[in-house]
Amino acid sequence: MIPVRAYFKLFKAYLEPHRRQAVLLAAVLGSTIALQLLNPQFIRAFIDGATSGDDVSSLWPIAVAFMVVAIAHQLLMVWATYLAERIGWSATNQLRADLTDHVLHLDMSFHKSTSPGSLIERIDGDVTALSNFFSSMIIKVIGNGVLLIGIIVLLWAESWIVGITITAITVTTFLGLFRLHGVIVPWQKEIRATAAELYGFVGEQVDGTEDVEANGATGYMLSRFDDIQARWEPQVVRGWRGWSYMWIGSMMLYFGSLIVVFVLGSYLFGIGTLTLGTVYLVFQYVQMAHNPVEQIRQELIDLQKAGASIERVQSLFDTESALARNNSATLPGGPLGVEFDDVTFSYGDADDETVLETVSFSIAPGRVVGLLGRTGSGKTTVARLITRLHEPQTGSVKIGGMPTWDVEMADLRHKVAMVTQDVQLFRATVRENLTFFDDSTPDSELMAVIARLELEPWLESLPNGLDTMLEAGGGGLSAGQAQLLAFTRVFLRNPGVVVLDEASSRLDPATERLIERAVDHLLEDRTAILIAHRLATVARADDIVILDDGKVIEQGDRETLLSDPDSVLSGLIATGMEEVLA
Amino acid sequence: MTEQTTPWFGRILWEMIKAQPLRYGFALVLWTTIWTMPILVGLITARFFDLLTTGIESSQVISLVVAVGAYAAARSVVILIGMRNHGTMLFRAHALIRRNLLTRIYELPGAAGLDETPGEVVSRFRDDVEHIVEPFDFTADVVGATVSGIISFAIMWTIDPVITVVVSLPVLVVAVVANRTGGIVRRYRKDARDATEAITGFLGETFSATQSIKVAGAEAHMLHRFAALNDVRKTMMVRDRTLTSVLEATFRNTVNIGTGLILLLAAGRLGATGTAGISIGEFSLFVFLLTLVTEASYFSGRFVAQAKQATVSAQRLTDTLSGASWDRAYAREGLISVHGSPDEDLHLAEPDPFRSLQIRGLTYVYPGSTNGIRGVDIEIGPGEFIVVTGRIGSGKTTLLRTILGLLPATEGTIIWNDDTIDDPATFMVPPLVAYTPQVPKLFSMSLRNNLDLGIDLSDAELDESIHIATMNRDLGDMPDGLETMIGPRGVRLSGGQIQRSASARMFARDPQLLVLDDVSSALDVETEKVLWSRLFAARAGVATLVVSHRYAALARADRVIVMEDGHAVAVGTAEELDKTSAAFRSIWAGTPSSAGHHP
Repeated sequence: MIPVRAYFKLFKAYLEPHRRQAVLLAAVLGSTIALQLLNPQFIRAFIDGATSGDDVSSLWPIAVAFMVVAIAHQLLMVWATYLAERIGWSATNQLRADLTDHVLHLDMSFHKSTSPGSLIERIDGDVTALSNFFSSMIIKVIGNGVLLIGIIVLLWAESWIVGITITAITVTTFLGLFRLHGVIVPWQKEIRATAAELYGFVGEQVDGTEDVEANGATGYMLSRFDDIQARWEPQVVRGWRGWSYMWIGSMMLYFGSLIVVFVLGSYLFGIGTLTLGTVYLVFQYVQMAHNPVEQIRQELIDLQKAGASIERVQSLFDTESALARNNSATLPGGPLGVEFDDVTFSYGDADDETVLETVSFSIAPGRVVGLLGRTGSGKTTVARLITRLHEPQTGSVKIGGMPTWDVEMADLRHKVAMVTQDVQLFRATVRENLTFFDDSTPDSELMAVIARLELEPWLESLPNGLDTMLEAGGGGLSAGQAQLLAFTRVFLRNPGVVVLDEASSRLDPATERLIERAVDHLLEDRTAILIAHRLATVARADDIVILDDGKVIEQGDRETLLSDPDSVLSGLIATGMEEVLA
Repeated sequence: MTEQTTPWFGRILWEMIKAQPLRYGFALVLWTTIWTMPILVGLITARFFDLLTTGIESSQVISLVVAVGAYAAARSVVILIGMRNHGTMLFRAHALIRRNLLTRIYELPGAAGLDETPGEVVSRFRDDVEHIVEPFDFTADVVGATVSGIISFAIMWTIDPVITVVVSLPVLVVAVVANRTGGIVRRYRKDARDATEAITGFLGETFSATQSIKVAGAEAHMLHRFAALNDVRKTMMVRDRTLTSVLEATFRNTVNIGTGLILLLAAGRLGATGTAGISIGEFSLFVFLLTLVTEASYFSGRFVAQAKQATVSAQRLTDTLSGASWDRAYAREGLISVHGSPDEDLHLAEPDPFRSLQIRGLTYVYPGSTNGIRGVDIEIGPGEFIVVTGRIGSGKTTLLRTILGLLPATEGTIIWNDDTIDDPATFMVPPLVAYTPQVPKLFSMSLRNNLDLGIDLSDAELDESIHIATMNRDLGDMPDGLETMIGPRGVRLSGGQIQRSASARMFARDPQLLVLDDVSSALDVETEKVLWSRLFAARAGVATLVVSHRYAALARADRVIVMEDGHAVAVGTAEELDKTSAAFRSIWAGTPSSAGHHP
């Protein structure tokens, strides 16, 4: 099935801005078809003139006209191609942008379960297939389709018998090709699926060479690679077989028509209905029909692939974020209170474990809270809920008194900042990594923040300062240095709430102290949730919340808790806090 | 990365032909047949028109129809057989290059990596390989087209030599134009490919960094940059495709001009009788064959252009080979195992017991920066637990990686049991050495396969490794136990689960030397303590080299090595260093461990 309707449903919006260009394209294409249909008429005239003994001087203009029309036809074809490509790429670029926008705003549970590689396949691979679909569709399918119709009409004009038979053969062949197409489609899908598997594998391997090589597992991985390729080969070969069927099918049109020329041509010439030139004309048109059919046949395969692409793109658009997006409340400036009100949350993974259970605590604006607990107690999840990367199943998370889902996302992300230990860097300059490609941040601002963090030595150690190109995946920086960059990123904004989630776990204490000096500055006049393991960090906290296994086991003013010998906090300090809580 | 030059494309084609000589020969025969068969159609049609002019009988019409039918059947058979052979041949050509690329990537130091992002590398595997094999695909066509062109030319000559020569001129023009425009075609194609690669690379990185982008609210900036990249690519693509279309138009015009010339030259003689006359049949044959000849010429021209475009892709592949000679990509010999080194045997037989590992003067500096390690000495004896510690950026991870050959040392010696090891990358692997990186990675396959990596391990051995790695609870959480599929199409693991799985993977190798980079980022202190105690219980005699700054590790260390700015500045037990090394103390000052509990 050619997914024309599905295609245009998706594409109407994207083609709309290019309407005038599309109309021009249609006009140009129409002209090329007209010219192409015109030329055989010249030859007919020439042959009839020559065989009836016309003077040579009357034949030459025909020959010249033939050449002129042919050249004009080709030039218009170039123009048509240019227009079609431009429209196709402009429209699909917009589609790409919208798709990427949509995907970026999907929630984290989607992203954790979807590899970047498969998203690239969709946003670039599938959408590019749609771009080719457009330019191929218009020129090769519609253009050739109209040409074919024109040929049949002209044949009909010469002799209705010829017209009927040629039409019958053409229609039968097309129907046959369509049916055949339906058989071939799943074969194409399978080929593309295995391709995705193979290239996903390659992507993982290239990313994981350290693990593979250090484990001496290269032979094993190569054999797995061989397995995928061995599985893929028969699928691809079967695809070729499908293509041969299509080729043979369209050939039948040509030979059927040729037989019609022989049989009907000889009969009609014999009874004087057609001149010799006209028989040749019919022959020319029949030959002219072969190429369009070939081209349509070739494009049918691409169109089919496009069908799968359209489905995938549409399903991506249909995937909704688990988080509602259309809220418009904004938060005030300055420090904001944070409140967890009876929050229960689970990630909804295979294990379906409840990560937070009826968690409630309240943080007044401008207070610094130390959030303590073992790994797996739910601290990271608390951080994610505050920044609204996820939403709780029951209960609510409130910032500045407003539930997070009432606040406009962009505003929330601006006012709530988080530093995690997993630093994600780009193959771009340090500047671009700090600003996320925002050209509008002046260097003076970057330098001010770097100075506040006392990171000038680090910046100076880089060969080109802010212009230093980081490698793919942020190579060239150690994990700790990357952490400092992540810190700088966050400090560029002016959030009302800061969550520092296990930011110190890879930094050793000496460097940690460097950062803490800067942290002191930024904790002024902000609410902060510190998830760390060092007494020094906790010592800075005004309040303490202790989690264990997803439940709050203690919360309150730090000094009050410390002065109570029976509090959990006192107990932790007595046994050597780091040992238990890091 | 050394600059490797790719030879002219003909040599690459020859390599691909050599890899599949029989299939290729068969393809040549088939495509020649496919290209020359249509000449028969031209002859049959010519016969029809000539018979028509003189007066045709129904029996003659029937025999013509039968001829067409027989031809159609024969052609169908040839196509079916030909396509099957061709499809197999092309797939194998692709598969071989891909395989060789991957093999080569595994030969490079595991942590030094390639210059390109994984997304870009995938793009090379997919698109560049395709562009290289494309001309190979078409050589069979070109040969077929040439043969059919020659035969057609000969037939045309017998009809009328003068017209033949005249219409051949545009045909030659075609070939010349194809040749001359090669440079521009190549450049446009390269620009388009580069633009696409920039996009896939950017997308790959964006979606690997989604959380950071979200948290920073930076979606709009990323999209802005993305739109700019897309605009560039659009321009490149339109340019490339329009040029292709212009060339196509030029080629097609030659048929038309040729036909026009035939008309002009034949004007007076068409339909005339006698030797000077040209029958309608001959005229139709002439035009028919002219089309064939021009198709052949066009194909050859396209092929030349394609080959030139493919040189761009071939050069990119050579670059990805990172220093290996260009023919590595196409060689059949690439199918041998990666560890072709003589030391291979050492690892299959029962290895000698570990006596010592001595590192002398080890040096590696990251290209384009001052980070790295310089002149580091380390000694490890049997059963010793060595801890490397230091500030961020002091070179701890670099040190581990260089010892293991994951980074290529520029200076220094590695001596294992009195043997100097020239290629640590192939030597320091299981069953001698096993390693867990700081940020380990698992792969999209079952958990069992992630742990055993193809080695046949008994359930007991796996269970023990899982136990040491404190992975028992994780395993209990897995829906299908060890058969659970990990990865994007399976289960997502947390950072801690990945770390523990990687540790279990390492323990399952049962090595003579264990190397662990910092586990503290993913394991809490309690879990890490359990890890060490189980490790010592189960693997007491195994030499261990770790990076850590946790008390549990420092306390047990036979020796602690303090790194600073890439140098090993102090060595000793934690107790000694606390007294003697200012560097050590400066790392530890201000923590409750040093205040209340001396290591």
